[in-house]
Amino acid sequence: MRIPSRKLASGALLALALPVLAGAGDHITPTVVLKKQAEVIKATLPGASSFFLKKVEIGKRDLSRIEQSGGFEPESPDVKFYYGQDGSGSTVGVVLFPQVNTQHGPFEVGLTMGPDGTVRDVTLTKATVETKPWVEKAAGTGFLEDFRGLGAGQAPTTALERLRSADIGKMPTYSGKQVAKAVEHGLTLYGILYAGSGRAAGGSSGGGP
Amino acid sequence: MSGLYSLRDADRSVKLAALLFMLVLGYAYIFAFFMVKNYAGLTPEDVATTYVPQRVEASQLPEASKSTTRALDLSSMEPEHHHVDTQLLIQDSHIHIMIYAIIAALQTLIVLGLGWSAWWRDLVILTAFGSGALDFAGQWLMKAGIGGFAWLTIASGWLMTAVYVVVLLGTLRAVFAKNETRGASA
Repeated sequence: MRIPSRKLASGALLALALPVLAGAGDHITPTVVLKKQAEVIKATLPGASSFFLKKVEIGKRDLSRIEQSGGFEPESPDVKFYYGQDGSGSTVGVVLFPQVNTQHGPFEVGLTMGPDGTVRDVTLTKATVETKPWVEKAAGTGFLEDFRGLGAGQAPTTALERLRSADIGKMPTYSGKQVAKAVEHGLTLYGILYAGSGRAAGGSSGGGP
Repeated sequence: MSGLYSLRDADRSVKLAALLFMLVLGYAYIFAFFMVKNYAGLTPEDVATTYVPQRVEASQLPEASKSTTRALDLSSMEPEHHHVDTQLLIQDSHIHIMIYAIIAALQTLIVLGLGWSAWWRDLVILTAFGSGALDFAGQWLMKAGIGGFAWLTIASGWLMTAVYVVVLLGTLRAVFAKNETRGASA
């Protein structure tokens, strides 16, 4: 059976438009690095002259504590803590990069803890092409500042309150909540795996460098 | 004559559409290559790292946490490897498998007009559709923890490229070959 060429031409052109239309609305959403981890470590640990990586392999007991107190299971069996020391060997702070995975892709933050064991800084480090404008809009409310001073086990109520009261739309609010969730996860991991039983940055063995 | 029609004898607009589709598809494939290179890598090890989940299996963990510490040079800190978790793979799958099927169907429209023998035509069509399906089969098998299936995803990508090259060559041949029938009748 043969199809007349002219009919085929219009059919082919119509078919040609289909993937273009489909592709325009449904493209993959790759992750976007908003700030490199090395830059966050350097910028949020001023005064540090040497840097170290402490990699913790989670044990059964700590996994159980994380699940009980944090209400989540870590994505990876290893957690990395980056800390800096000044010329005298004192720890000036610790940075970790907790991540929350959603159907819109990952949300990762750089969470910097000061030597007193409280949050010094929260920086957005990873989003997706889709979520980048949402998290940036959420960050525009200034809610990242509200995490400062929080310690392990403390809920970011001020930051969440600011997000709720800001009229920024559904998805930016959702993204801000994912950032808050990442911070909460990070605080739990820091409190259990780094600071150990109540010790702040600079502790030893089970916690600290 | 094999197939539904003859691209060689088709209207100029049909040839133009077929040729432009293949060329623009190739244009997109160039960026697809860089996308894969940047986000998943080109070796089985890199691809497996991208998809195999780092499961926290409580039964396999030591009783107490263990830590190692080393000095860090921030200037040579390795970038984090991109990881596709289950949520992201669901999103990727629903988009890509559909697009792969549409691309394979459009390539099939061209294949049907290339005058190829039935067995060769069917083989190319089967590979066009199968490579997309196998690509994600490999990704899901890796997501199930079987990292060895990285080769399936990589092989599927090359099969997809092979189908493209074969159909492009067939299209160029059909579009630019001298049309003796028309030439004689003109």
